[in-house]
Amino acid sequence: MGIDPQHEIGPSGFAAALEYRGVSFAYPARAADGPSVPVLSDVTLSVSHRERLGVLGPNGGGKSTLLKLTLGLIKPTRGTIRVLGREPGAARAEGLVAYVPQKSGAELAFPISARQVVLQAATLHLPAWKRTDAESIRRAEWALSLVGATEYADRHAGALSGGQLQRVWIARALANRPRLLLLDEPTVGIDPAGQQQFSDLLTRLRNEMDLTIVVVSHDLRTVAAGCDRVACLARTLHFHDAPGGLTPAVLAEVFRHDVSAIFGDVHIDAHRAAECAHHHPTQGAGAGGASRPIVDGGRSS
Amino acid sequence: MKTLEYLRDYPDLFWPACLAALALALLCSMLSVLVVLKRMAFIGQGISHAGFGGIGLAAVFGLASASLSPGATIAQFVVVLGFCIASALGVGILSAQHKQGQTHEDTAIGIVLVLSMAIGSVLVGIYSPRFQWESFLFGYLLNTAWPDAWMAVGVSVGVLAALFWARRPMAFWAFDPRAAEAFGVRTGAVRVLLLVLLAVATVTAMRLAGVVLASALLILPGAAALRLSSRFGVVMGLSVACAVVGVLAGLVLSFETNWPPGPSIVFTLTAVYLVASVAGRRAFAPSVQAG
Repeated sequence: MGIDPQHEIGPSGFAAALEYRGVSFAYPARAADGPSVPVLSDVTLSVSHRERLGVLGPNGGGKSTLLKLTLGLIKPTRGTIRVLGREPGAARAEGLVAYVPQKSGAELAFPISARQVVLQAATLHLPAWKRTDAESIRRAEWALSLVGATEYADRHAGALSGGQLQRVWIARALANRPRLLLLDEPTVGIDPAGQQQFSDLLTRLRNEMDLTIVVVSHDLRTVAAGCDRVACLARTLHFHDAPGGLTPAVLAEVFRHDVSAIFGDVHIDAHRAAECAHHHPTQGAGAGGASRPIVDGGRSS
Repeated sequence: MKTLEYLRDYPDLFWPACLAALALALLCSMLSVLVVLKRMAFIGQGISHAGFGGIGLAAVFGLASASLSPGATIAQFVVVLGFCIASALGVGILSAQHKQGQTHEDTAIGIVLVLSMAIGSVLVGIYSPRFQWESFLFGYLLNTAWPDAWMAVGVSVGVLAALFWARRPMAFWAFDPRAAEAFGVRTGAVRVLLLVLLAVATVTAMRLAGVVLASALLILPGAAALRLSSRFGVVMGLSVACAVVGVLAGLVLSFETNWPPGPSIVFTLTAVYLVASVAGRRAFAPSVQAG
């Protein structure tokens, strides 16, 4: 599935898997007369079914806010969001959208096995008086086998490695057979080999389940590997599936500081990038047209 | 064995105490697993000390004298319970507003704790100067009459039913609050429910057995059980077992030695915890065991 220019415009109506139209979000002012804190401004986005979108941005750039909005945990200040044609909260309630948080959220001293973690999600919708039923167990086992976690399903969650835990979180998210999967900083604490396996896993899930996937990270490699498109998010959203691709100029503009420190061995001439951004401040992607593209628009697989 | 003689010869003195102690063991042990896992021991302390303020409020209504009619006893219980639930919710609201800093929650609890004790002390001093604080602090299980014992059973059944009813969202929230929210668990409601159940359990245990034993029952069984297993259901069962064993052994210790029952039970619960810590050292190293 290469890049279809139509994706950028988005189909009319709400046929897309995920659609943002002119969405802004600001946290309310701290003092009664103080300014509100803008986090996202005028974000328009359309993610097609079965697309894999990477959202790259610095910390504080609004990535978590984007996820919370998509899950319906917070409401946009302005604009419209549709998840599979529904209000975000309704889509979440129907189990159509699932979320893989950063691993830091869980209490790993909790006495729970990997299988039980997945069962927690699979049985959440059951009425209180009902016992765990065969259907929930079957779905949990299916999700565990899909991510390849069956062999350590009985182990204590706190005893798993970062990569194993990551698979368990994904299995938990898949247990209710969602259509849209959101991943927040999925490769933090995972070694490069594990990251490659992780990217392959997402590709397989997309193909087997017809999933639409949104990966959000501050790490270029995480969002670039295997994604159809990459969007840069720093309060506003820039798409970079044009032939020019993601260039140092764009990255410098998005991150506004020493980019090479973030991307490790990916060589970026931050000074030159900043210069480009300075000369062409309004043309995000276009400004770097002459520079070496770091990531092209298409999937790198 | 003095224990058997007592139970045979003075049934209305010792059986209610045993029944009440078992009901409290059941009530507190399930909650104690969550208290330990969610590091809520200090909140339990705060709630129990809010009871001082509750007694102060009861004193204003003339409900804090030494001998009360059964109706007045219930009224006193309701006043103290209301005060403690309000304090627990106050702490919950204060700490929910400051999700990032753990200090804020500790600070909120600390403030509620000292303020309640001050209020209780002043109000009791004015309205009921001869009130015996000792019975409130350390309780005296052997003063338990049949109505108190059945009240403990009723409260216990109610709290456990609520816990059972909310078990799935509660466990999900306890394990991974952020993910639970994203999966549709109403995390705020679950947290408030746990705080209210904790307040109910604390006040009931405090009334019958004193502040010290209430704290012991809300911490030690769960802490012991968590040393022994890494499966949630098993931990819950073991916590109940630890509490029942500790409480019964404590009562026997108390009957045999004529020590007061509250401290005796604290000793035996601590002993159960130490045994579990030693025995469970291998069991709770799942990374080694599962390989």
